[in-house]
Amino acid sequence: MTTSKPRWIAIVIALLVFTGAGLSRISFNVDILKLLPTHLPQVKGLSLFLKHFSQPKELIVTVEAPTSELAESTSDALADVFAKHPDLVQRAVARAPWEKRPADLFELLAFLVLNQPPEQIRALANSLSPGQADATLKSNVEKLGESISPQEVALLSYDPYNLAGALGDLGSFAGTAQQSEFSSADGTFRVLYVVSARNFPNYKAAIAWVNQIKQIAHATVTDPTIHLGFTGEPAFVADISGSMEWDMTSSGFVTLLVIALIFYLCYRRARPLLELQAMLVLIFTLSLAAAGLFLSQLTVIGVGCAAIMIGLSVDYGYFVYQRSLHHRGTVGELQRQCVQNIAWTSGTTAAVFFALNFSSLPGLSQLGNLVGIGVVIGAIVMLTIYARLTMRFHQSQEGRPPSIVERLFATPGFWRKGAVLAVMIVLFLLGVLTVKGLPQPDFSARTLRPRKSEAYVALDRLYARLTDDRDMLSLVVAGKDEAEVLKRLRLAENSLSAAEARGEVKSFRTALPLWPVAGNQRANLPLLASVAKEIPRLRESAVAAGFKEEAFVLDEAIFQQWAAWAKAPTPIWPTNDTSRWIFRRVASHEGDQLLALGMVTPMPGHEDALTNAVQSEGTWLVSWNQLGRELRHVIPREFAHVIIALSAIVVLLLVIAFRSIRAVALFVLTTALVLACLAGAMSLLGMGWNFFNLAALLLLLGTGTDYSILLLLALKRNGGDAPAAQRELGLVICLCAFSASAGFGTISWANHIGLASLGQTCALGLVLDALISLFLLPRVWTMIHPRSHPIRGKAAS
Amino acid sequence: MRSLLPFLCLLCAWPGLAAEPLDMTPVKKWLAKQDDLHSVQADFTQTRALRALRSPIATPGHMWFAMPDSLRWELGEPAKTIVIRKGDTYFLIQPAKKKVERYKADNISKKGGALGFAMINFPIAKDFADFNRQFETLSVTATDNHCHLEILPRDAQAKKMLQAIKFDFDTTTGHLLSFEMATRDGSSMRSDFTNVRMNQKIDRHVFDYDFTGYEVVDGKN
Repeated sequence: MTTSKPRWIAIVIALLVFTGAGLSRISFNVDILKLLPTHLPQVKGLSLFLKHFSQPKELIVTVEAPTSELAESTSDALADVFAKHPDLVQRAVARAPWEKRPADLFELLAFLVLNQPPEQIRALANSLSPGQADATLKSNVEKLGESISPQEVALLSYDPYNLAGALGDLGSFAGTAQQSEFSSADGTFRVLYVVSARNFPNYKAAIAWVNQIKQIAHATVTDPTIHLGFTGEPAFVADISGSMEWDMTSSGFVTLLVIALIFYLCYRRARPLLELQAMLVLIFTLSLAAAGLFLSQLTVIGVGCAAIMIGLSVDYGYFVYQRSLHHRGTVGELQRQCVQNIAWTSGTTAAVFFALNFSSLPGLSQLGNLVGIGVVIGAIVMLTIYARLTMRFHQSQEGRPPSIVERLFATPGFWRKGAVLAVMIVLFLLGVLTVKGLPQPDFSARTLRPRKSEAYVALDRLYARLTDDRDMLSLVVAGKDEAEVLKRLRLAENSLSAAEARGEVKSFRTALPLWPVAGNQRANLPLLASVAKEIPRLRESAVAAGFKEEAFVLDEAIFQQWAAWAKAPTPIWPTNDTSRWIFRRVASHEGDQLLALGMVTPMPGHEDALTNAVQSEGTWLVSWNQLGRELRHVIPREFAHVIIALSAIVVLLLVIAFRSIRAVALFVLTTALVLACLAGAMSLLGMGWNFFNLAALLLLLGTGTDYSILLLLALKRNGGDAPAAQRELGLVICLCAFSASAGFGTISWANHIGLASLGQTCALGLVLDALISLFLLPRVWTMIHPRSHPIRGKAAS
Repeated sequence: MRSLLPFLCLLCAWPGLAAEPLDMTPVKKWLAKQDDLHSVQADFTQTRALRALRSPIATPGHMWFAMPDSLRWELGEPAKTIVIRKGDTYFLIQPAKKKVERYKADNISKKGGALGFAMINFPIAKDFADFNRQFETLSVTATDNHCHLEILPRDAQAKKMLQAIKFDFDTTTGHLLSFEMATRDGSSMRSDFTNVRMNQKIDRHVFDYDFTGYEVVDGKN
């Protein structure tokens, strides 16, 4: 005893350190793409897009007011208030930077002109020469009098030498392209971009910051007719991570509660119940700590595992407790009796779940690892600690009268009526399946989003009131340097032009006009940089032609910018705030990978052909809708492969365990019947297959099959005596099924639509599995083994 | 002094309280006269006073309009910019560049960006209700048979650029005398109409244009 005490203390300390270290490393990843196969082009393209163009620190605040004046003043007032909190907000942008300071566009214009072909620049330089400058100015004054375009008049008024003319249609690109970022056409809906002053180390920091911003905004805007919305990446992280945390803790807590209720109804004992609950909390904590230490960030699928782990681990607790009730030997003997059953069921379950690592779906791999770890820890805890605990108090309960539920399970009539009911349910569901067919697949983006999210509501409003780009495709072009991206951009531009000519594209816009062309820049810089020396002459001529001096400010700034770039290495990128704002959603050139973005509006029905035509090395045409289409093709095939592989593993393990082809065949038949009934039930309830509840099939393969395995082992042990096997395991299997269903059932209310569908499908499948395994499997066994006898020496146990 | 304060406040507020609703009768009459309008042709001088220029630029022009939706608007002599409307399509023609931009009338009315067409959008409203739906009236000043009207479009984007749209018209004949767009940066574009001929026959070929050799593209609103 004296030697074991320090050992126990050391074990407890080690566990505490392990748990503390693990739990402190838990973090959530709200990126849905982390669940999907990375080899899919759509996943690859969208991941790159999000990595380079998502704004992790930028909250989008929407302001909706009855009048445009009120919306504008509110949005400006909010920007001013946020600017007074430099500890929270790095910047709050309520209108395009060039709206306040149009002159700041000079750098972008200088850059765009610099990018043009050298022959065009030679013509431009010639138009500025002493012999041509006056004619250039005269022609532009005439244009000012004749143009019908207010945009052209506005620009030309402050660009007397028409430097923007060298850009062709591109001159108006920046202004028109960004216009919809801040205001709806009627002005009653405005958008404000609020950038956090600091990075968010974890989701809790994002939640806290978003809440602070919301508080400030609501304190500033008290008019009830003005509606504020909050979206953007920090809002999504706050919303989704918050709901993931809530789903995880609430489903785990409710599962524990339901298990307690079921246990108490069956056994009417408080102490073993409390100890069982303590074991479940321990298993959950240790599994989560292991996940924190060994796995990367938890995804939305991983969150659902809390309830599943509890629901599965409790099975082993029930089994140990049930055996302990009739056990009269030592703890070691009880453990040895239980180990075979628990090892087989937990072994097959863990093997199935760990085997999910062979899948190319990272989300499923994480699910597999989490549940696999949980199941192994659960089996160890129940066998080593709970078995010891059950032996401590079972002596005092000898002579305890059986509970109503226990008596019910001992009645032959219960099993007879149950079998009739099971047959009726199975026939009904098979009938439904025949009539209504298989559940329909649904791989749309709908299943990837939360049921309730303020950030999604605000985003939907933003789409409705500003430009809705959900039907558009994003052109993502990546490369290791500017030259490679430029080459790919040109190829993409050619493919899209050809597609436009074929009638597959309504319109498109690539980043090509904004991408630096190093060769042109090198050729143009000496000529353009030298113009700065001519500034006094050019100013004088402009004034003489009728322009005021202030009209020359923009052109002068452009000339000076070219001179400032004279010695800069090429390719040159513009760097001032206005240019950065324009480029932030078009080009990314920091880091080891460069990216350019474009938008394509396809003609309806041509999306797939277009995606295939444009896609090439480093070039993707992506959208969430296209991802859904790709998943519809790939995921069922992927799942079919995984399911076949896992089924083969389970069958192999069972051949070793049963050493009977008939038993294995019966197991396969039972599983097939369960899946057919599940499909019928899903069709009846109008449920569809999606990425998440397809994973439910794998879960059923790993968990629901335990019931038939336990029953088949009990039948073997009892020499084919079906009533004896049912009496022995009926209550345990019912407890297991109800507990696991409760675990899955609690995630049916999860905020995430996909996760909720996984919970519903699993809960349904487990109930069906228990029903068929308990009531029909023993009857079929009796039919195919009419003269089987108890295995000698094992029947008694 | 304290007892005088409410009285002083009331006195300060008096002009506001006393402001009478605008008398829109001349505008209603002017718009109603458009029911009798079948065609109109006129010469005009467009004067652009731009903030960046030291003196205004005056350009002569001609316009033809026939109900319901045929229009030709020429700016410059010879014409440097021509706008032709046929049905629901506007063609912006630049003869020097041999280029034609095509715009859908619906898109133009939906988007405030194509403000340039506001200068040639004729008639400005179908009736008084349509006028009120599109515009906010800033002032109406009627003297003898002349009326000066200042309005502002309700469209937020147009409102952001414009300070006022000003009309001068003859209340007895309904002739438009001048039209001016004043922008918020202090610039203005004014068209003064002369030689206005109403309901005279216009050769339909006026509204045609031979696009041979021209590049025709869809305009970006």
